[in-house]
Amino acid sequence: MIISDEQLIEMLSPAEMELIHRGACRILSQIGVRVTHEDIAGRLLSRGAERKGDRIFISQEMIEEALAQTAKTIRFDAPEPAHGFTLDADENQVKFGPGGQALFIVHPVAGGWDRRAAGTNDLKQILALCDQLPQVDFTTRPVECDVPEDRMDVEKAKIFQQYCTKPMNLANIVKVEYLDKVLEIIGNPAYVSFIVSLVSSPLALDDFSGDKFVALLEKDLPVSISCCPQGGSTAPFSEVGELLQLHAELLFGFVLANVIRPGAKVLYRGIPITSNLYTDGSPRWCQPESIRRVTLAAQLCRYYNLPCCGTAGVSDETEPTAQGLAEKVLSWTYGIASGAQYINSALGMLEQVLSVSYHQYVIDDIALKIIKEKFAEDGTGETSVLAKDAAITALSHFGVAVDREIEDELTARIRHIENALEPYSEEYIEDQIANIKKAVEKTSSTVFMVAARRGLREGYLYQGDRIDAPLDLLDVTERLKSSGIS
Amino acid sequence: MSKDELLKLLENAIVMGHLDVDDEGFDGTMEGTPGTLELVEKALNEGIEPGEILKSFGESMEKVGKLYESGEYFLPDMLASAECVGEAMDIVEPKLELDDSSAGKGKFLIATVKGDVHDIGKNIVATMLKGAGYQVKDLGINVPAEDILQAIKEFEPDFIGLSALLTTTMIEMEQVIKLIKEEGLDNIKVFIGGTPTSKEFAEKIGADQHCRDVIEALQALEKMGEVS
Repeated sequence: MIISDEQLIEMLSPAEMELIHRGACRILSQIGVRVTHEDIAGRLLSRGAERKGDRIFISQEMIEEALAQTAKTIRFDAPEPAHGFTLDADENQVKFGPGGQALFIVHPVAGGWDRRAAGTNDLKQILALCDQLPQVDFTTRPVECDVPEDRMDVEKAKIFQQYCTKPMNLANIVKVEYLDKVLEIIGNPAYVSFIVSLVSSPLALDDFSGDKFVALLEKDLPVSISCCPQGGSTAPFSEVGELLQLHAELLFGFVLANVIRPGAKVLYRGIPITSNLYTDGSPRWCQPESIRRVTLAAQLCRYYNLPCCGTAGVSDETEPTAQGLAEKVLSWTYGIASGAQYINSALGMLEQVLSVSYHQYVIDDIALKIIKEKFAEDGTGETSVLAKDAAITALSHFGVAVDREIEDELTARIRHIENALEPYSEEYIEDQIANIKKAVEKTSSTVFMVAARRGLREGYLYQGDRIDAPLDLLDVTERLKSSGIS
Repeated sequence: MSKDELLKLLENAIVMGHLDVDDEGFDGTMEGTPGTLELVEKALNEGIEPGEILKSFGESMEKVGKLYESGEYFLPDMLASAECVGEAMDIVEPKLELDDSSAGKGKFLIATVKGDVHDIGKNIVATMLKGAGYQVKDLGINVPAEDILQAIKEFEPDFIGLSALLTTTMIEMEQVIKLIKEEGLDNIKVFIGGTPTSKEFAEKIGADQHCRDVIEALQALEKMGEVS
């Protein structure tokens, strides 16, 4: 899928992005990242970083050098050569794939839906299904195998080799000592890529991930550097504060990547979502404020002209619903307009990242086709118009009678996505950096939660109505049957 | 200011989650006014018995609990109040007579198990328990079973809380429980929590209690307290 320059959404001005850039650089040079991994600390220090206690400080110069060095094009080959593609940071192309590390499979039962534990057979079935779905451009590991940890990597590689002809994102490697074996089973290292959550928010390198990152980059494999803070618990509740922290954590990843391998093939994967502070603090993946923040992160990535891995379509619903479909359509539309080129976790996902459903994969494939058609027809370049139109068409396709009430709810959600609630000023950014510093010093995520009280009352978390209507899934069930998926 | 007025101010500061003079409190208007910590210091300086201050902590948190149940307060509000009490306890505790300190609800050791670095849930639980009157020792994240066992021997807790967010790390909880049983420490109640855990999993590994969130943990602790 290719979109036009006019369809790229600009929610931040160049001046605002420059302020975030400089703020993130200040975080890395003044607050630093906690690094207890001696090999990684040594590598960074040898390239000009500084150390005080267990924190490593990175200068703006090091950051900008790393950004300039990073590969701007990445090739993703596939067992079926026609499925291979090149991701170019200069191009407005968008590729979609499933994702997650879901624990459960949501499946239909008499009178509703139920869920059961996911396992090896589900990995086989989902890969086979995704191989057939036309909107799936690459396949990210959706569930893990139910085998002992020691056998996980090899088992997963065997299944990918057998069931997947598209570019393979294996996501995680449990034990780096099995990496050679995994590549041998796959048959060609050019088919595979990975995701590494390098930094635990706020600002602490995860040692296990550090080992994986080094091993993968030393093999010159593409890696999405992933960061998924939750505003209000592991990052500031403020959008500005969360973006600053996320950006600093990802820029640290880009510096490290280029220290390990100059010109590293790494993608920027920023997922700044929020915590549900109205209830238990659980993540809100697909609510308007999270869609907005993820869109802003992709725009920041575009500012540097880096390959961008987006995340869209991770519903907060526990089963396939009209509400979930609406959430997903808005999330995909803004994900596409954000300029993200490689959109992960885009199909099948429910209940944040806890569950997947075979039915949801097919629903999402149909809805993605609708969105692509809307982008192709669109002459306005107005994301808000396109998003609402796509949501109405998708809901109607699945038998929902879209009335004024539903339209109003969609409008309200879109308004929340597009409207800034906070200033992007020097002073405000300084306040946010001070809050991040406090949380880092206290090493407790309750700092962000307690500081969230004002934002909670100022409406940072969208509170609207649900879109409740039954979905007609007859076609979906038929398509699953004809795919040979049980 | 009379003793009653001072204790009333203290109670209000806690209910409003107003930690200290720099904190803005529940409604963002309280910065610059004495917070919980300053008021506790003042109360002690004016000779109010630590036991009375403790009583006021309990009454304040009871009010906060009711506001949360009624939907007027959200998680951050409750946490802010709990944090006020937790930090104020650090000031009051050294002044307590032995009799007063034994009035605490018990000792709770908490940790995220080995291989797991997630701490949101654990931190919320630790803060809330401290605010509710438990003596809490937080071992942090990625804690090996052997280190937990060592801490049990030193801290002698009544309860242990184990947290994990990953399917690959939750199995470590079983290892911790196995070590506890091997040491014959069956009297310690083990709580587990974290996204992938369940009541069934708790039963399977021999944990005493599975909690979906901090409220369930507090309710279960209260129930255990009533039984004992």
